[in-house]
Amino acid sequence: MTEFRDLVGGDLDPDELERLERVDRILRTVPAPPAEVPGSLNRAVQRIGTERRIWTLRRVAAVAALAATLAALFFSVGRWTGGSAVDYRTSVPLKATADAPRASGQIRIAESDRSTGNQELQLRVTGLPRLSGGDYYVLWLAKNGTYAGTCGTFNVGSGTTTVEMTVSYRLADYDAWVISRHEENAPWLLSARIASG
Amino acid sequence: MATAETDGRLIERVGRGDRDAFEQLYRRFARPVLAMAVRQLGDNGRAEDATQETFAAIWRSARSYRSERGTGSAWLFAVARHAIIDRARQKREHVAEIPEEVSDWAGPAERAEESWLAWRVHSALEQLPERERAVVELAYWSGLSQTEIASYLDVPLGTVKTRTRTGLARLAGLLDEVQE
Repeated sequence: MTEFRDLVGGDLDPDELERLERVDRILRTVPAPPAEVPGSLNRAVQRIGTERRIWTLRRVAAVAALAATLAALFFSVGRWTGGSAVDYRTSVPLKATADAPRASGQIRIAESDRSTGNQELQLRVTGLPRLSGGDYYVLWLAKNGTYAGTCGTFNVGSGTTTVEMTVSYRLADYDAWVISRHEENAPWLLSARIASG
Repeated sequence: MATAETDGRLIERVGRGDRDAFEQLYRRFARPVLAMAVRQLGDNGRAEDATQETFAAIWRSARSYRSERGTGSAWLFAVARHAIIDRARQKREHVAEIPEEVSDWAGPAERAEESWLAWRVHSALEQLPERERAVVELAYWSGLSQTEIASYLDVPLGTVKTRTRTGLARLAGLLDEVQE
């Protein structure tokens, strides 16, 4: 590599020369940066903010579809009669995390409908703070500790809130039920492990 | 000449969902992150993935940045470090030592210092005007002589020396800033 004096020439005052030589010594010890950033990486990073918006829209669409399904179920199974037509077979207690120490909850799960693969749930929660400004909670399934699928969204009032949902996932494929606020990376508030097998 | 916005200020803007600030940060730090990822992972494809994950993490967690706790560059270094280690763990492969904290070296002191020094230099290079950056990079990492650089860039030898000198002076200022 070219000597420092040859790089910058000799007509510099001693202080400036010493300052530049310090940088020269550093540069001689540092590995080269990549020549350029690949276009594929530029394109992938450009999508980061956009993907989030798309993801949110996708989630809104999923929630809307779920709401439509719930509405259809509500009217088709005759809930207005006051009796529950759903035969819940399993009950899973939800444990509160440190972020919602006063919360508690339970998910009751019906058997999967063999003809469609749909499975009905009843969620009961108490002690979650009431949200405002269009905010809402999400019940979702986790796999290896991360988001894997939305079961439904809800809000709470005072006392116990009960909501019914339908999912079409194979629950054995997931690790845990989780309730959090709808924001990405919001802390878990209630959760329960899904027994394997 | 317009003063470049500080890294910390850009991160704060990203925390408020500012895409323009995010793109500026990307332009400033894409090569330093990629360089660190390549060094630690030893594979270009995985290094690209880790770089992408780093910027996704910056977008997600910029709100958590607090300027009183340290410089923006140090915060970005920590985010990159975590993303690279996560990428290495996904394959359960050994990852070369990256310092835990900028000021609290976890590994051998030399190695930690090298990593942080390379980060600072690569970040500072991104802030040089393109023509100075090109000359400095060719001078230190291409193996070309000054005459060859002049020929390669098709500029007089004196211009190469002037740009090298100006680039080094600017780098000296930028590296001092990071140290402060």
